[in-house]
Amino acid sequence: MADKIKLFVNGVEVEVEAGKNLIDAVGAVGIEIPHLCYHPALGADGNCRMCLVGIEDGRPPLVPACKTPAMAGMKVLLDAAHIKKIQHDVMELELINHPTDCPVCDQAGECKLQDYYMAFDQAESRMNVPQVVKGKKMDFGAGVVHDQERCVVCGRCVRFCRQITKTGELGIINRTDDARVNIFPGRPLSNRYAGNVVDLCPVGAMTSRDFRFKQRVWFLKKAPGICHGCAKGCNITIDHNREKYKDDIIYRFRPRLNEQVNGYFICDAGRLSYKAENEGRLTEARLGNKARPIDDVLAACTREIERAEKIALVLSPNCSLEQMAAVQALAEKLGAFLSGYSDGYIKPGDGDGYLIQDDKAANRAGLGLLGIDCSREAFESAVQQAQLLINFNNDLTRSYKESDLKKLLQGTKVIAVSSHDTPGTALADLAIPVASYSEYAGSVVNCDNILQSFAKGLSKNNDLADICAIAVQLGSPLGSPKERFALLQQSISALKDLEPDKIPAQGLNLNDSEAANVTA
Amino acid sequence: MQVKILSAKFDIKDANKIKVAKKHGAYSTLDKVFSMPPEDVIELVKNSGLRGRGGAGFPAGVKWSFLPKNTGKPVYLAVNSDESEPATFKDRYILVKDPHMMIEGIIICSYAIGSHDTYIYIRGEYTTQVKVLQAAIDEAYKAGYLGDKVAGRDFKLNVTVHRGAGAYVCGEETALLESIEGKKGQPRSKPPFPAVAGLYGCPTIINNVQSIASLPFIIAKGAEAYRAYGTEKSPGTHLFGISGHVEKPGMYELPLGLPLLEVIDKVAGGVWKGRKLKGVIPGGSSTPVLLPEEAKTVTLDYESMAAHKTMFGSGGIVVLDETVDIVHLVKNLIDFYHHESCGQCTPCREGLGWMLKIVKKILRGDGSMADVNLLRELCDNIEMKTVCVLSAACTMPVRSYLDKFRHEFEAYVAKNDSSAAEAK
Amino acid sequence: MSDRSQLISTGTPFQFDKERDAEFERLIKRYPTRESMILPALWLIQEQEGWISQEAMAYAADRIGTFASKVYEAATFYTMYHLHPMGRNHICVCRTLSCWLRGKQEIVDYLKNEIGLQPGQISDDGKFSLEEVECLGHCGTAPVVQVNGEFHENMDVDKLKSLLATLK
Ligand SMILES: Cc1cc2nc3c(=O)[nH]c(=O)nc-3n(C[C@H](O)[C@H](O)[C@H](O)COP(=O)(O)O)c2cc1C
Ligand code: SF4
Ligand code: SF4
Ligand code: FES
Ligand code: FES
Repeated sequence: MADKIKLFVNGVEVEVEAGKNLIDAVGAVGIEIPHLCYHPALGADGNCRMCLVGIEDGRPPLVPACKTPAMAGMKVLLDAAHIKKIQHDVMELELINHPTDCPVCDQAGECKLQDYYMAFDQAESRMNVPQVVKGKKMDFGAGVVHDQERCVVCGRCVRFCRQITKTGELGIINRTDDARVNIFPGRPLSNRYAGNVVDLCPVGAMTSRDFRFKQRVWFLKKAPGICHGCAKGCNITIDHNREKYKDDIIYRFRPRLNEQVNGYFICDAGRLSYKAENEGRLTEARLGNKARPIDDVLAACTREIERAEKIALVLSPNCSLEQMAAVQALAEKLGAFLSGYSDGYIKPGDGDGYLIQDDKAANRAGLGLLGIDCSREAFESAVQQAQLLINFNNDLTRSYKESDLKKLLQGTKVIAVSSHDTPGTALADLAIPVASYSEYAGSVVNCDNILQSFAKGLSKNNDLADICAIAVQLGSPLGSPKERFALLQQSISALKDLEPDKIPAQGLNLNDSEAANVTA
Repeated sequence: MQVKILSAKFDIKDANKIKVAKKHGAYSTLDKVFSMPPEDVIELVKNSGLRGRGGAGFPAGVKWSFLPKNTGKPVYLAVNSDESEPATFKDRYILVKDPHMMIEGIIICSYAIGSHDTYIYIRGEYTTQVKVLQAAIDEAYKAGYLGDKVAGRDFKLNVTVHRGAGAYVCGEETALLESIEGKKGQPRSKPPFPAVAGLYGCPTIINNVQSIASLPFIIAKGAEAYRAYGTEKSPGTHLFGISGHVEKPGMYELPLGLPLLEVIDKVAGGVWKGRKLKGVIPGGSSTPVLLPEEAKTVTLDYESMAAHKTMFGSGGIVVLDETVDIVHLVKNLIDFYHHESCGQCTPCREGLGWMLKIVKKILRGDGSMADVNLLRELCDNIEMKTVCVLSAACTMPVRSYLDKFRHEFEAYVAKNDSSAAEAK
Repeated sequence: MSDRSQLISTGTPFQFDKERDAEFERLIKRYPTRESMILPALWLIQEQEGWISQEAMAYAADRIGTFASKVYEAATFYTMYHLHPMGRNHICVCRTLSCWLRGKQEIVDYLKNEIGLQPGQISDDGKFSLEEVECLGHCGTAPVVQVNGEFHENMDVDKLKSLLATLK
């Protein structure tokens, strides 16, 4: 725990963490100091002047909070009339050249400028001379669209591209009130994290081509989630909405802060992976290639299981720990071989040492922790010996060419328990639709051995079953979440003394526990 | 009234050439300097009372003593030759007429602060001046006053000229450092101060050309000799620039402390064309204007200027005769500062542009009293809320014109009112 | 200031000539970081070509090993860098305080009315370009005009006329 110090805000004593700037220190105890240019991941720049606060008996008496370390005994003034006036004055200057068409701005509802205006200005504009004219709807590449007139020149986006991605596509050119953000001609945004500038931008100057004007943000419901785009397991907010007479669909993923995992950002591929939650889904149970009621198909599955002498099971490395436990118990019950073979989910060399990993699966570490065999040899020999393969959402076409897969599956019946309608699913004899990761709760272990739990994000009109439930229907003895957790506790020692709801929000770092040494 | 301390060699032909300069004493203080411990040099400069001539008037020796010791990092010296404050034209004379005096000063300062790398930041517009300066530096290298062994001593010193390219704000010391680092000239927030973290993150001293060029005299003649000129708190001499409506505008070296009006009359030949005085800008365009009554009692030193609620600044005196249209002058000033705003911080970036549009509106005859009041209020709203004081360099004088010549603004507005009435 | 974001492309790659190349290499040794070469490199380009094209900026960025956006920032921030070709004779008239007080407007008006030159423009024959600039540090000899880098002090219309006559 960091050292604590005491200081005063508006005469009230508060205890804050030492070594932070005033914005973060008093922000942590619920006192917001207005700010636009400061961002904890990008550091203090000091250009917006929204964060000016008074320091009683201070020299100087007026300081930018973003640049001022919290010190014991400091007397910070936020409420004083002269500080309120400064905030109001800076706000007024911030707004004079800003378009006043919030109702048609895409950012409306999540704009800092709008928030602050509501909070402490709300005055009629005194601007009665022409505004500065700048560029609109500029294509910056990577799906980012820029509006120079809305920009408050806080430089967050520029600093992001220089400090975080180190690609430096953006710059603030010109000076005076002609200063504006731009790309160098012919060198557009071309980094794999460019979408973050849209979130970073405190106003509506950076918008995403993908999201622009699709939904007003105040209609969106927000659910916390974990991105399943790669082994990093970045924390996301799932913005979704059910329009009248329609299904609940996801409109975008946005990064959600987790210092231990992804910090403030996510990659663009992950950001856009929401589309796969909406599209290409398997929504009906099938017998052969005909849609059938799910109960009929489940009954058919049971018959196949009874009929088969040898059964093989294969799991997706994206399955949650709970799903893996349920399926593992099913395998044991059926005396079946369980494989986690999924080399095709790995794209060697694609990772970048920052967030993006080679491994495009969210829970390969879970396979390891549960001792599930992932070798190709074992998988293939099990399939060749088996009359039946039950595939829990493992897209085998990622690991095999379709012709090779067909060859491998010759003589083996396939039950596909799938969230998506992939070419692999089409090859199956029986298919059962299941929920995808935004629609169920579970936990995954990321590439850094951090276990993270997530809740069910949204419910579809036709809510599909979780793999856990299907496994139980097919005979897994782990009927309840409690039983599944108990099995996990056996395999993962860090969970031993933990209640399932006690997994920390930032994730449980398994390296910190003895579990690191205990491979199950 | 005029003296010749800094300008001693200005009238000598070819004094910019090392041969001639040496004949007249250039580089003669180095033996003495190198025989003193560096701390003693700092002490001597402190005792001389030399104040920075870039505008802020901070005591040079005191600034040097702020350098942290033994940081393991190099110490840099940056010489501020940006000279861009309107009405300031003094450093250029040193660069062209006696560059070796400045180079000698650089050696003295570098030795005192333990620096081995100097960057001279010269404004880009000084195209002919930079050639003379570079030639002098080349000569100094050749003569062994710069390079690996300065004057044969075990002291290394490299001097590099870095050209600006049209940005007044680069005279602000941290913007100047940014510009040397290859960036836009956008001032840094302080703290940290350059003495702690300056150029390339290393301890750095920034001094004005004239401050540096004053050093050889102080070393040669001693602190008392320097203090023989000027006043107790404003010792020494200064290269004053007198421009505007006088008979004999120009650069004059004077001791500090002389009465302003006497200088205007006796040195600069008085208000031109026999006209009456309307006001005096005492120290560069950013200093608040003085009315003739106020000018009567003010003397050319830091204390008296402060007592008259204005500033000594860069010593650039501008005389305004009775014909000057103050509203137009204010437009001219705001235009300058707006044009030069680095565009970094909100109040200055947005505010100066707004002020400019308002004053243009008033000037066009479209203004109202509300506009005049808004202009005045914006001065308060912007000043001291910004990263650097460029914005204050605009608002301080503008406020002074609005307060002291309000009737001229009102007259413009009244014209608007009457024409509006006529239109009805 | 006006917007300087529009760059002009020559369509051909830029390169330093031999002399500037050598000068670049000499100067870069004077700085501990390569980025310090951004301003000097832009000056070298302008010296060589008279102005700075999009290709030249990209060249400077790549040669220095920095982002083109940083070179773009510097080139548009510092107003002495010409981002398009100028007249053969580039005339800068100081428009600031002391020059204004001592009649710079007559000079600008003369250029406007007699030569047809507007500030910010180039004459049709490419002979002249005119720019109103901020204080040039010659206020004691105001008004001043700088032509192709040379200062001309205590200007008036007569002196301007004879000066223009000497320009090719
Ligand atoms: C906007 C602005 C412009 C300045 N321009 C100059 C300048 O052109 N020359 C200069 O020496 N100092 C200038 N200064 C002052 C410098 O920041 C700095 O105080 C000075 O160079 C320090 O040197 P000195 O202590 O020897 O005066 C300027 C300051 C500001 C805020
Ligand atoms: S686009 Fe947004 S993030 Fe970038 S400088 Fe403008 S306001 Fe700031
Ligand atoms: S006050 Fe003006 S010049 Fe100074 S940092 Fe702010 S914007 Fe730049
Ligand atoms: S947040 Fe401190 S100046 Fe912008
Ligand atoms: S005002 Fe024109 S040179 Fe200074």
